[in-house]
Amino acid sequence: MIRFIGRPTSPSASCRSIAVAVVAGLVMVSCSSSSTTAKTTVASATTTAATSSSAPSDSTAVTTATTAPKGPDLGKFEAITGVPGVSDKEIKFAVEGTGPSNPLGYCLLECYKQGVQAYFDYRNSLGGVNGRKLVISTVVDDELGNTQVKLLELTSSDNFGIFASPLTYPGYADVAKANVPMYSTVPAAAEANGFKSIFLPTGTACIACPSRQNVEIAILAKAHKVGSLGYGISQASKDCVAGHKATFDKWGPAVGIELAYSNAELPFGLPNGLGPEVTAMKEAGVDFILTCIDSGGALTLEQELERQGMGKVVVSLPQGYSDTAFASKNAALLEGDILSPFFHPLEATPLPSGLSTYVEWMGKGGYAVNDYGIQGWINADLAVMGILAAGSKFDRASVIDATNKITNYTAGGIVATVDWTRQHLAPTIADPVSNAAPKACAAYVTIIGGKFKLLGDSAKPFFCFDPKVDKWVDATPTVFG
Amino acid sequence: MLMASIGKDILRAVLQGTPPGTVYALVALGFVLAYKTSGVFNLAFGAQAYGSAVVYFTARTQWHWSILPAFVVSVIVLAPLLGFLLEWLVFRHLRTAPAVAKLVVSIGLSVALPAAVDLATHFEPHGSIVIEGIVPKGASVFYNVLGVYKFSRDELVAMAVAVVAMLLLGALFKFSAMGLQMRAVVESPRMTELNGIDADRVSAFSWALSSLFAGLAGVLIAPRFHTLAAPDFFNIVIVAIAAAAIGLLVSLPRALAGGLGLGILIALFTTFLPKWSKSVHWLKPIKENLTPALPFVVLFAILVFVPSVRRSRAAVDPLSGVDPPAPSMATTPGNRRATWLRRLVGLGVVGAVAAVVFGRGATAWVFSVTQAVVLAIIYMSVTVITGLAGRISLCQGAFAAIAGFTVFQLADRYHAPVLIGVLVGACIAAAVGALLALPIRHLNGIWVAIATLAFAFFFDAVMVKFSWVGGSRSAASASLAVPRPVLGPWTFGNDKSYLALCVVVLVIVTLAVSQFARSTTGLQLQALRGSEVAAQSIGISPARLRVVALSVSAFIAGVGGALMVIQQKNVNYDNNFKPFAALFWLVLVVTFGARRPAGAIAGAATFSLFDKVMLQGNFAAWIFRSPKRIPGIFPLSGKWRFVLFGLGTIQYAKHPEGVLATSNAQRQARRQARADKASQARARNDTSAATTTSDGGVVS
Repeated sequence: MIRFIGRPTSPSASCRSIAVAVVAGLVMVSCSSSSTTAKTTVASATTTAATSSSAPSDSTAVTTATTAPKGPDLGKFEAITGVPGVSDKEIKFAVEGTGPSNPLGYCLLECYKQGVQAYFDYRNSLGGVNGRKLVISTVVDDELGNTQVKLLELTSSDNFGIFASPLTYPGYADVAKANVPMYSTVPAAAEANGFKSIFLPTGTACIACPSRQNVEIAILAKAHKVGSLGYGISQASKDCVAGHKATFDKWGPAVGIELAYSNAELPFGLPNGLGPEVTAMKEAGVDFILTCIDSGGALTLEQELERQGMGKVVVSLPQGYSDTAFASKNAALLEGDILSPFFHPLEATPLPSGLSTYVEWMGKGGYAVNDYGIQGWINADLAVMGILAAGSKFDRASVIDATNKITNYTAGGIVATVDWTRQHLAPTIADPVSNAAPKACAAYVTIIGGKFKLLGDSAKPFFCFDPKVDKWVDATPTVFG
Repeated sequence: MLMASIGKDILRAVLQGTPPGTVYALVALGFVLAYKTSGVFNLAFGAQAYGSAVVYFTARTQWHWSILPAFVVSVIVLAPLLGFLLEWLVFRHLRTAPAVAKLVVSIGLSVALPAAVDLATHFEPHGSIVIEGIVPKGASVFYNVLGVYKFSRDELVAMAVAVVAMLLLGALFKFSAMGLQMRAVVESPRMTELNGIDADRVSAFSWALSSLFAGLAGVLIAPRFHTLAAPDFFNIVIVAIAAAAIGLLVSLPRALAGGLGLGILIALFTTFLPKWSKSVHWLKPIKENLTPALPFVVLFAILVFVPSVRRSRAAVDPLSGVDPPAPSMATTPGNRRATWLRRLVGLGVVGAVAAVVFGRGATAWVFSVTQAVVLAIIYMSVTVITGLAGRISLCQGAFAAIAGFTVFQLADRYHAPVLIGVLVGACIAAAVGALLALPIRHLNGIWVAIATLAFAFFFDAVMVKFSWVGGSRSAASASLAVPRPVLGPWTFGNDKSYLALCVVVLVIVTLAVSQFARSTTGLQLQALRGSEVAAQSIGISPARLRVVALSVSAFIAGVGGALMVIQQKNVNYDNNFKPFAALFWLVLVVTFGARRPAGAIAGAATFSLFDKVMLQGNFAAWIFRSPKRIPGIFPLSGKWRFVLFGLGTIQYAKHPEGVLATSNAQRQARRQARADKASQARARNDTSAATTTSDGGVVS
């Protein structure tokens, strides 16, 4: 039985800077880097690969994991006692998140839960894992602002692990202390940093570090002078703008692109509009704008650009991919803008096995394909990978340990490779390599006529860079899975 | 050439600042309208505007109505109806209540109304949408003004409405009998009635009119947001208060000019400061920090430097004694035996709860109970400033945050013990409280509330951004982690041991507050609350006392805030200390009783446990002896908490002692009535017996 548990929203929690924190977190989506070169491979259960942690591969090719179809690993049943959430028939999980009270108005808890549920349906249709069905036993809506107490409740509940998609992220340290495996979303990167039991679809990220992906997106936009906008009230948003500055300071001269305008002091909600800021960008000759703001703020920017005759300036949008209504309803304003999904774009066909399975099972469940659904799916897959890797007699600790030995996780080609031996810690400006993914990758789509269109090679949609190479080198088109 | 360029920049900035300035002006006009016609500083104005905007948006996008019927229903019908209901159900009964009491009620409504609207309409915030205004293609069709800047249709309509509204409302007040009657009813309803005017009817019209204006403002300003959410409307209201204050809450033209002026001033700052700060380096921090805080700085400056604000006193109805507020029920003498019995029962309940929590409490329950204890300490600060001193402070969250940030910074940068951090943080909060109290010590009533609200938003917009306040030393982590304390041989890493520490602190603070209330200073504060003039006549210095009261209150809030961040092991400013949170704190404390520590404790317990115990159905499960028998309506939305306790403030104006004292007094009154009745019966029996004896027969 699924229980919905609610708790009141703290009034404060629905206010602007909570939103800003999340908005800035969303920036991490575009800043998150991924890896490609793997030494050992644990392929996704959604692939038809030899999916086992004991199936290492020394290949440098990133497609190794899907080349030897054997059928998915279902694991082996062995009776277990004393492990929370695990019975002879089921492995129970909880899903926690922010429901309709999300003041930013996008689907968090429900969409994320649908992704998890779709994966469980898919996996259960194959026979489950280790002879047990995967079950979402508890769904908790933190109603914004009560994340910590809800997560505390779940740490002592009869669930094996937690899938978390809140708007704000207090309480992650408590879950880590309780050693409960938790699978959360990309914007939680800063709060998950350093915790070995918290897993995100792309690992952690450094927002303030120089990022080749930002140079690449400017190249795709045919930019010469870049503007960057962020909110002053959010440290992450300010760090994001600082990252843009560091990026073009470092690699701008090599590609002939400069950061001509930056403003990291915007008030959240933009109550005063962006008139003077857009005028300043116009005077500075800005022809491309990187944003560290939410999509509502981006719409305000687009309207102001249109008003001041800069409607053709390309804007890098922070989120909105997979939200077809967002693109179609605002088609005129968003024409030509670019988004950077953290996963293999749906427009890049053929879809990798993991992504096609995701689309198929979301359809079977009657769910819409979207950003948070795909994160739920990836995380559910990683949870199963961890259980399989831990063996038939598993518990929370062994699953966490086994997952942290996975070096080449791609969720069946959905995301660029994540190395869980090192990606619990974010890279830093001082050391951008040691904890980085082996390859820094991003994919890009543009909005044309209210629809998303892939930028780049459909067969190899990811633009990847080697983080060990400090100088500017053109991106390598890559596909995973 | 240079001058021409600067002139063009100025003209462009003026035009660019006009649309946001119009938004501020619209809300400021609404404020002035509400204040002039009802005497209420209506902080719920944003909530009323939000209600109409939600209905309009829902009608347009979900019910697919055309513009006209959607506008008629949401603005012309629903908004005045809401105003009429508020007047009929709430404010009609508060006419003789002090302005501060009305302010508290409006704060309660600002919390309750958005939640009630959401519950009634099942509305959920929508993200990333272009919200339609009241004209077709309002956001996408532009008109060039002077060849310098374009205005959208929506913006032009809003500007026209603001100007026309100012003119019409001005004419209404100046030339119409109704305008005069509305102002008269605010000053003295009884005297107005003596002139044959139906005060109820006039008051209802006033509220319907101001609510209509709120609804109109709501649908006009909604297109400026791309997410239709209640907090956006509240934040706009706070900025607009500065504009309304420019008009001293009574002048419509000044409110309009104030709103436009603010918008234009911000645009001028945003245009010129980035250019000038490139060569003049000391302008950089001003550029970064002053611009977002400009409305609050302006507001605070008006409050402090405009003499008429300092001198303003609430108008007193010369006939207020005809129908005075209900007498304070808490003054009913208590029954000593019953009081002790009640205390014993209370102690028993607390003991039982403590035994369960410390003995078998799960982590989440211990967390919630600890949160209740810590919040009770913070709420004691409201007991001091509102209960004892009779002043409304809306920046208690900022004081708590100051201490919380201090604990974090001392631990993070200097590895200082967190308990030292608690004391240092509370002292800094007290010092900030004293500094804040100095310039506002001569202000009265709602102006104090406005000043403290301005400070709370200034702290939120500016101070939290500084790395030495709200920033982490480690750029890699967004969290401001705080360790648990160690005190000699005792470590409080364990949640239960930390709860025990917090209980000890709560007991100490409770005793200290009780003692403070009985001290000379406390008695002087209560005298000041009763009558400032009388207090001054016996040598009490109001200014000194007010500084002391806010300082002590800030210290207590600081202790609680510091303990809270230690409990949560993180500052969590957004979750815990934002200005709107402090509003709800005030709502809870005054609902239960701001004049006694018990009210603070009950309010804190409610904040932390009401949802878990009541709304989730755990209490019902306990009643029905099984979770399976919980009625299907559970779990209830957490928004019910805001509706219930927001509306709970309504009783504040009648009974400022709060629910606890009022119910206690009512119980005592019933008991006394029963005793009187029994006594009378006994007396009758005695008389009867005496009669029988003397007559030698039975009296029938």
